[in-house]
Amino acid sequence: MIIRSLAARTCRALPRGSSLQPLRRFLSTDIDSIESSADNSFKQLGSLEAQLNAQVPQQVPSASSETQASSPAAQTSESVAEQYHLYKQQQQQLGHLGTEISQHYQPHTLLNNPPSAADVTLELLLASEAHQGHATSLWNPANARYIHGIRQGVHIISLEVTAAHLRRAAKVVQEVSKQGGMVLFVGTRDGQDRAVVRAAELARGYHLFERWIPGSITNGQQILGKCRMKVVNEKDEEIVGFEEQLDERSVLRPDLVVCLNPPENYVLLHECALNNIPTIGVIDTNADPTWVTYPIPANDDSIRCIQVIAGVLGRAGELGQKQRFDAAAKGVITYRPAKDLTMPEQDTSKDKAPKAKVDLSRTFMKDGGLEDADELEGKLDEANNREGSGRRIKVVA
Amino acid sequence: MAHREFSRGVRRAVDSLGNLPRSQCERTIRIARRSFHGSASRCVSTTTVRSAEFTSDTQEKFTAAPPIDFGKASGGKGGGKRLLQTLRVVPASPSYFSAKPTFTDDYISLTALLRRVATLPIIPTSEAPKVAWKTIDQYRIMTNEPVKTQRFHKMLHVLRRLNCIHPTLMPPEVMQAMQRYKKDVQPGDIKPAPGVIDEWGRAKGVGRRKTSSAVAWLVEGEGEALINGKSLAQFFGRLHDRESAVWALKATHRLDKYNVFGLVTGGGVTGQAEALTLAVAKALLVHEPALKPALRRGESVTANLLPFHPPSRLVSFPSEPHVRRPCFICSCRLTRGGGRIVVTSPA
Repeated sequence: MIIRSLAARTCRALPRGSSLQPLRRFLSTDIDSIESSADNSFKQLGSLEAQLNAQVPQQVPSASSETQASSPAAQTSESVAEQYHLYKQQQQQLGHLGTEISQHYQPHTLLNNPPSAADVTLELLLASEAHQGHATSLWNPANARYIHGIRQGVHIISLEVTAAHLRRAAKVVQEVSKQGGMVLFVGTRDGQDRAVVRAAELARGYHLFERWIPGSITNGQQILGKCRMKVVNEKDEEIVGFEEQLDERSVLRPDLVVCLNPPENYVLLHECALNNIPTIGVIDTNADPTWVTYPIPANDDSIRCIQVIAGVLGRAGELGQKQRFDAAAKGVITYRPAKDLTMPEQDTSKDKAPKAKVDLSRTFMKDGGLEDADELEGKLDEANNREGSGRRIKVVA
Repeated sequence: MAHREFSRGVRRAVDSLGNLPRSQCERTIRIARRSFHGSASRCVSTTTVRSAEFTSDTQEKFTAAPPIDFGKASGGKGGGKRLLQTLRVVPASPSYFSAKPTFTDDYISLTALLRRVATLPIIPTSEAPKVAWKTIDQYRIMTNEPVKTQRFHKMLHVLRRLNCIHPTLMPPEVMQAMQRYKKDVQPGDIKPAPGVIDEWGRAKGVGRRKTSSAVAWLVEGEGEALINGKSLAQFFGRLHDRESAVWALKATHRLDKYNVFGLVTGGGVTGQAEALTLAVAKALLVHEPALKPALRRGESVTANLLPFHPPSRLVSFPSEPHVRRPCFICSCRLTRGGGRIVVTSPA
């Protein structure tokens, strides 16, 4: 019995130890022998060289390793470039071989190819942790209607509500973009900058990923006074010649603000509320939903969730801009033009693009009527809206 | 016993083998049933819980703007007839609301560029080409924006990383992008014309110190010196001045190998002696350029024109005690009170 168990134990260990060790030994002796033979051949080569050099007046190029590495820096730099190109080539040829990994999370895809409002599914929101709220003790009771339940002491946001609110917000961004409004995307937390910039790029909007300077709306002339503005036509091409008028013009304000972290942007949202600027905000369970006009109940601590939301809103803005350009191509202006702009002098208009010049000559014939229209419009505005230029979306007379 | 163990193990292995395909099957079916986006399922949050950073009692209550009524707000029809009816005023940059649009655009474009070229091979920072980047003040003047120092350093960090790309693989667009942040004059751009030894074997050197200026000619010889037609001992009364006039030769042990002819004008005796130091050192460098490190160690080729510290500094700290400390401008051996730190002969 004892002998049998001993045999069973040792037999298992036997093939491992006994078979590999001699192999390794053979390998090492092999290498040694190869090295020694190489040394020998080098020595022979060296002696041959010496003999040859003694007989021939001209030096024979040596084959030894020391002389080959005469300019090591130049050679390595050459080889780095070569190796890199070789690596790239091989990656192109062989990169697609091997196992195919299907459907896995790649962090950059949410930035490179963000989902549109139609792609928003509960699975996407769940995967991006949009449902995770805060600890129940931190909650704001105003969010009760967005909360699905409690799990492990943490509020769980109802994803149906999130999806519905996100689609509504996307509609708002789309419509504002279609009507030529300025959409400002704000995300001032670490890691939100790329999502914010990408959304603004898609929606042709504006971005802010550092601190909101308090007073940028209520005291804008002091803070944004030096920032350059431009005059664009319906195709968003810059029209030159209005620089003098722009210098005297008051600073611009956003028409819609998308805030991805409302708790840290109290000042911004307060200024927007004071100036009647509608806001969209990602409302976690600890945030106050009354701070924003259109809340999106979701987890604002997850970068992935923020990327999904910013991407959806950016895509919506992209769609709205496309609708605006389509309408402009048909000659329909979907936005209210800027007030108080007068045509620059003829000599300055020579710098303009030829297309703009044609429009200009057409305009000058009707200049008299235009001023009246502007005045009337201004009076109507004052009556309707105490902010004047606060609301850009309005019927044009 | 071993046999029994073995058989049990075999049975377990067979069981697990039998189970494995079925479970994998089920998993694949479940994956297929899931929609396109539900591929990754994690239930544990990786982000830390952030505590609320606001307290409602201290903040003023406000009500957000009412929802937009898109029905009443629609664009004008057929407004494209006239140019003025089609114009909008918009910010020139998408970073308008950051109040630093140029800087923010620069930063975004640089980080985007770095993301594009991040996989290129790099060299260590010490081997990267030396670049003088614009200082924050120069950048502020260029952009006319109140850029914060910390943000500017973040941008410099990106620039230094771009500069570390392997020179053989440096993309031209990176070179072009970096050009904007470089100073107009880069180190190594200005190279002084090399000195020449004329037909009589003379090398000329010019030196200045305080208000003195000296011209020295150096020829190979036995160690004689003629300053304004006088010998060294006749011209300089102080031993110290005699030594400092030919300090460059002494520091490099060439005192008996060259003859010096010097012409000195202006200033006092000490200034003239120290102007000669620089003149002789420069002339010596024409004869033997390899002596430069030795002369640097001997501190005789550092031009030091300033008599004392700038007066403004003295005025702004009138009650500062008289402290012996090296000059903060060029770390030369002059100290605040005009005293000298004894220079030991170089190794």
